[in-house]
Amino acid sequence: MRVKRVLITRLEVYLVILAALLPLVVSSEPFHHVMTIAGLYALGTLGLAVFTGFAGQISIGHSAFLGLGAYSMAILSGTCQLPTLAGLAASGLVPGLAAWGIGRQLLKLREYFLALATIGLVQIFQVLATELEGLTGGVEGLFNLPWLSVFGFQLDRPLEQVYLVWGVVYLAFLFGRNLCSSGYGRAFQVVASSEDTARTLGLSPEALKTRAFVFSAVYAGLAGGLYACIFASVSPEAFGLDMSVMLVLMLIVGGVGSLPGALAGSVLITWLDIWLSGYQQYSLAVFGLILLLLLIFFPEGIFRGIGARWIDIVRSYAREDWRKELRR
Amino acid sequence: MVTAATFLQLGVSGLTSGATYALIALGFITIYRASNILNLAQGDFVMLGGMLTVTGMSRLGLPYPLAAAVAVMGTGLIGLLAERLVIHPIRNKPLIISIMATIGISMTLSGSALLLFGTSPRTLPPLAPAGAVSLGGGVSVSSQALAVLLVCLLLLAAFHAFSSRTWSGKAMEAAATDRLGADLVGISRSVSRMQAFFISAALGAVAGVLITPLYFMQYNAGALLGLKGFAAAVIGGWGSYAGAVLGGLVLGVVESLSLAVIPAGYKDAVAFVALLAILAVRSKGLLGSRALEEARK
Repeated sequence: MRVKRVLITRLEVYLVILAALLPLVVSSEPFHHVMTIAGLYALGTLGLAVFTGFAGQISIGHSAFLGLGAYSMAILSGTCQLPTLAGLAASGLVPGLAAWGIGRQLLKLREYFLALATIGLVQIFQVLATELEGLTGGVEGLFNLPWLSVFGFQLDRPLEQVYLVWGVVYLAFLFGRNLCSSGYGRAFQVVASSEDTARTLGLSPEALKTRAFVFSAVYAGLAGGLYACIFASVSPEAFGLDMSVMLVLMLIVGGVGSLPGALAGSVLITWLDIWLSGYQQYSLAVFGLILLLLLIFFPEGIFRGIGARWIDIVRSYAREDWRKELRR
Repeated sequence: MVTAATFLQLGVSGLTSGATYALIALGFITIYRASNILNLAQGDFVMLGGMLTVTGMSRLGLPYPLAAAVAVMGTGLIGLLAERLVIHPIRNKPLIISIMATIGISMTLSGSALLLFGTSPRTLPPLAPAGAVSLGGGVSVSSQALAVLLVCLLLLAAFHAFSSRTWSGKAMEAAATDRLGADLVGISRSVSRMQAFFISAALGAVAGVLITPLYFMQYNAGALLGLKGFAAAVIGGWGSYAGAVLGGLVLGVVESLSLAVIPAGYKDAVAFVALLAILAVRSKGLLGSRALEEARK
């Protein structure tokens, strides 16, 4: 049976049109800027949704790929003065190649050890970005980078950047969704549930895991490349562990394994983060507490969590002994 | 050019930071064995141990030993609380949830430390009388460093005795080895987990008290210490107490010796490069590890 790849429902068309009108309706520059940042995170989270949600692997190190993409962009378009589109291509290519190179060895590890090794990637990336001063500008990083320009149009206003980033995110979303509903997506899920089963079916878990890893690294790298254009600067501490943790948190809040959830989670957590950062020294403790509460009460993501709770309550009302059910 | 004496001196001073990594690694292993949870907040217990001692001495005017004891017990109780409030409710959830939960604990602890103690780095007076012991050949070691090493070895012996001689230690071992078997003979895994969190939080605090006189302690110092401790535990052989201590010492020495060869800025990456190398070449660690073999299968 031939699987229908492109599945855009009418509802989705309406939603996309509504979302596309939103930046015009709420036309304040801070809103556009925050949504642009949310879009960058969404791109990174989408890749992670395939790697963690479908292929079942854990990574707390994708900020390293974001950083690698951002630095590729910064060095090519800033230092070497190449066109920004070439920089953007490199920002997807370089992290992808890096992931392909280390993937096979790294992904032999599982569970906590994989999590630790990916954390190690971030540390190694940060040290390299700080120490290779000639190339990366050291602790201060690189700044005064050019805006992204497409065929002579410079995208330097927040409104243009929102459309640029979310346009890329939507394309990435469509591609990711098609990938996940293709044979690859199903193979990833087999690998996630049992590698032995995958081998029995003639699938190679090593190759599949590496491909999912490369896929997510390319997404993260593109997000990094756009980051370099939008902030016009890169520095090592911007791509630390907290960024990796944010990406995983967005994934969990949206529901692991749900691509629309990854987008919604990114927007939600970005707003939370921006809102909290206004409280300066309280932000870290409060962010930690909110993270804990989310994990304890909505481990399946808030959308699924709220939905499931509603269904439970409605069901228990439908039964005769609903009082007893609810009390239990 | 680096002389042999410099090399030896670097190795010896590496043993001190190695002993700290070893103590942190012991804490990781204790919790992992009792609950199969990797507690990424372990480094923050170290930070709390040091910071609480400083606060006890400066704000409450407690004498040094009492302040240290209060800090260790207090951190132990915080560990217990973290287990009850966070780890217990999510004990049956997927791995990624438990990893993120311990990161959440870490953020909450260091965020609270930021509010309580501020951003300035603190230090403590040394435990041992000042001075250095000469080992001959121009190599010397500070008495504080010797004290750290000594405490580390004593704790290792105590751990061995606890898990092989006492009832509750054996119960914790049993709960770690075979969950169903432990349930069948009436060992409460919940109680073992609580014990493990209390013990390793207290252990982390001991490490904090020991190293605060040597290095400065700050609200956010925990994260890197914790990661290096975990790396040490994996390098030594994940799952065994002796492996944790050996891995810690080896990591400390390698990190210190690297100073002679490469620029100092790269020091923090050495632990992770060593970790990735060990995982690629001899994944079960120096002393071998059943747990890691299974995780890799």
